[in-house]
Amino acid sequence: MQGKCGLFFTSYAQEREFFQSGFQKSCLAIFMLVLLILPTMVNTYYVTIVNTVLISVMAAASLNLLTGFCGQISLGHAAFMGVGAYSTANALIWGIPFLPAVLFGGLCSAVIGMFFGIPSLRLKGIYLAISTMAAQLILSYVFLHWDGATGGSSGILLRPPQIFGYVFDSHEKRYYLFLGMTVLVLLTISNLVRSRFGRAFVAIRDFHLSAEIAGVNLFKFKLYAFGVSSFLAGIAGAMLVHRTMKVSMDNFGIDMSIAYLAMIIVGGLGSVLGSIMGGIFMSLLPVVLGIVAASLSGVFSGIESQIAAVKEGVFGLVIILFLIFEPEGLVHRWRLIKAYWKLYPFAH
Amino acid sequence: MRFFKWLAVVIALAAFMAGCGGDGEEKAPEAAAVKEPIKIGGMIDLSGPTSEVGNPYADGVKAGMAYINDNGGINGRPIEFMLEDTGYKTERGQDIYNRFVFQEKVVAIQGFGTAVSQDLKAQIATDKIPNFTASYSADLTDPAQAPYNFFIATDYSTQLRCDLKWFKDNFKGEGAPKVAFVYPDHPYGKTPIAAGKEYALELGYEVVGEENVSLGAKEADANPAIIRLKELTPDFTWIGGTTKSTAAIIKSAKANGFETNFFVNIWGCDEDLVRLAGDAAEGVYSNQAAAVYGADVPGMKIIEKYTDGKPQMTHFSRGFTSALVMAEGLKIADAQGELTGEALKTALETLTDVDTMGLTPKISFTPEDHRPNMGILLYQVQGGKLVLVEEVSLERRADWLGK
Repeated sequence: MQGKCGLFFTSYAQEREFFQSGFQKSCLAIFMLVLLILPTMVNTYYVTIVNTVLISVMAAASLNLLTGFCGQISLGHAAFMGVGAYSTANALIWGIPFLPAVLFGGLCSAVIGMFFGIPSLRLKGIYLAISTMAAQLILSYVFLHWDGATGGSSGILLRPPQIFGYVFDSHEKRYYLFLGMTVLVLLTISNLVRSRFGRAFVAIRDFHLSAEIAGVNLFKFKLYAFGVSSFLAGIAGAMLVHRTMKVSMDNFGIDMSIAYLAMIIVGGLGSVLGSIMGGIFMSLLPVVLGIVAASLSGVFSGIESQIAAVKEGVFGLVIILFLIFEPEGLVHRWRLIKAYWKLYPFAH
Repeated sequence: MRFFKWLAVVIALAAFMAGCGGDGEEKAPEAAAVKEPIKIGGMIDLSGPTSEVGNPYADGVKAGMAYINDNGGINGRPIEFMLEDTGYKTERGQDIYNRFVFQEKVVAIQGFGTAVSQDLKAQIATDKIPNFTASYSADLTDPAQAPYNFFIATDYSTQLRCDLKWFKDNFKGEGAPKVAFVYPDHPYGKTPIAAGKEYALELGYEVVGEENVSLGAKEADANPAIIRLKELTPDFTWIGGTTKSTAAIIKSAKANGFETNFFVNIWGCDEDLVRLAGDAAEGVYSNQAAAVYGADVPGMKIIEKYTDGKPQMTHFSRGFTSALVMAEGLKIADAQGELTGEALKTALETLTDVDTMGLTPKISFTPEDHRPNMGILLYQVQGGKLVLVEEVSLERRADWLGK
């Protein structure tokens, strides 16, 4: 704490700082430290869960850049991740080292994303959602039928990632890779949204006409948004397939696109922190429900299929309840909590 | 205050007694079962698009485990079978798999669908956990690609080849028989088509048509495909899909007066087809891997005993057999020393002509070839029932491995 009852800025640069107080910085440092020593403290199973969470956070954050910040709804995000994953896998087969291969995957995804972003100049809202859904269906078709590049229905087998001779051959080692990538992706997005580009994106989201009058080239910036978002999605996709060392098209279906959209809606649109919270919440919810169901089926044996059905229902119910009681996402609740404690116990 | 004192005493007593009860319960099984149980994970679709066949399959695996445990387990060690629902979702499959492997330390997995099996193909090889799937994709039989995958039915491609061979051998018409393929545009549907076309040409068929009908199709959705196929007059029409999509296709065929010999793949035809398609199902052929309920084989007597004579689908028999074959491997591996996934794999690869009590054709695995056998049980719907026509078998050709 700095001994003041608020934060006062004397310059715009100060206002735009990520972490405005020493307290925030130390909290973050402790959090990062915990993340760094996490694999040494928990069972491998929990590490695999965290890996899934990290990848979801990456994917959700990249979608939030497009949908939350720039206002362009995309139902094809998982397919763009798939493009990144398949391109990376092919680059690895050609003998390109891991990091350049991932970059190549991201670039391929960016190109495809920008191509399918072209209709966004004319289409808005629900119409754009449908046109990006078409992208999802077309790309899914390509994943299944372009046997030479995607391995068709049997997919592509990968080898553990290798960077400068270091092989990430266990879940714990890959955890650090995923953590590093997630931090990079989040930093990129956070920095991007406080730049000229970010302000243009927000202007387009808030009202396209005003943005254009203010000098924002709508088409250009919408395409930028699609490009950057797809680039990061491609990287997330490349990471995703390195969880199991297998590229299969079932990881990039429309259900996943909807899941990523749900993550940013539950977490909070137009907020990096919201993407993180949504990613964590939506990835952990099925795991927690699974553990509850497993312990229940231990008590009542032979009802696994009934529990399975109930679990789906509970998952849906939680999301609906969230939308009713927390329409602005988890990040809004978090801000309220922070505001409450900032002035505690002298609320005024 | 006195009341609270009494309450405290009562609570303390209750806690003490509960504690004793708990101890007693915990000690009892320890005394009874001296040997440590063997943990096996079950990852089967109990919900989602394939749950209609997943549930009977899971029941079969469970019955198989119960049968093994009732008959001395694995060299005296019982099997602890943990069943979880994968719902045909890769994300959930990964989570369950990781929990089984890293937390529960299972020796092997009884898996199920194509999506999850394909997704875990490389992971199980790294973790050295054999996976008995019910996704019979040919690429899973090639140990060079999928060293830890096993299953007890011949692969989808060989199933289709068996159908083609049988039909060619029994074809009475003139000229080359004409063949058409109807399947969902989906990894599972597409898998055997290339192999089927290649073998059809090799046998001297004329490939006349190819249509996609999705897994969730209704009769009306199948109409366009059927009307196009009718023009091409195929003698042999292959249907890949699930029972639901098959019902839609054959009902549409009947309504449109399309006459052909339908051959339906293993998941596309079961006891439900007659209920869904009625008369249209009459005469449809289907390649199956396991005996239907009530068949006159020793294994079926056991299944009947474990199901109290309540008829089960053929998927049940396959689940049951999958558990039996895994147990054969477990017995060998356990007798040789520490029971690990790797030891189980090595043991399974020594199995030669395992008799599954007549439930399936005999099963063998070698380190170079995980094709369990090269045969199918060809059934036909006659009078609303699946009737065994013939056991068809092909030679084990090396160039077919994994394709």
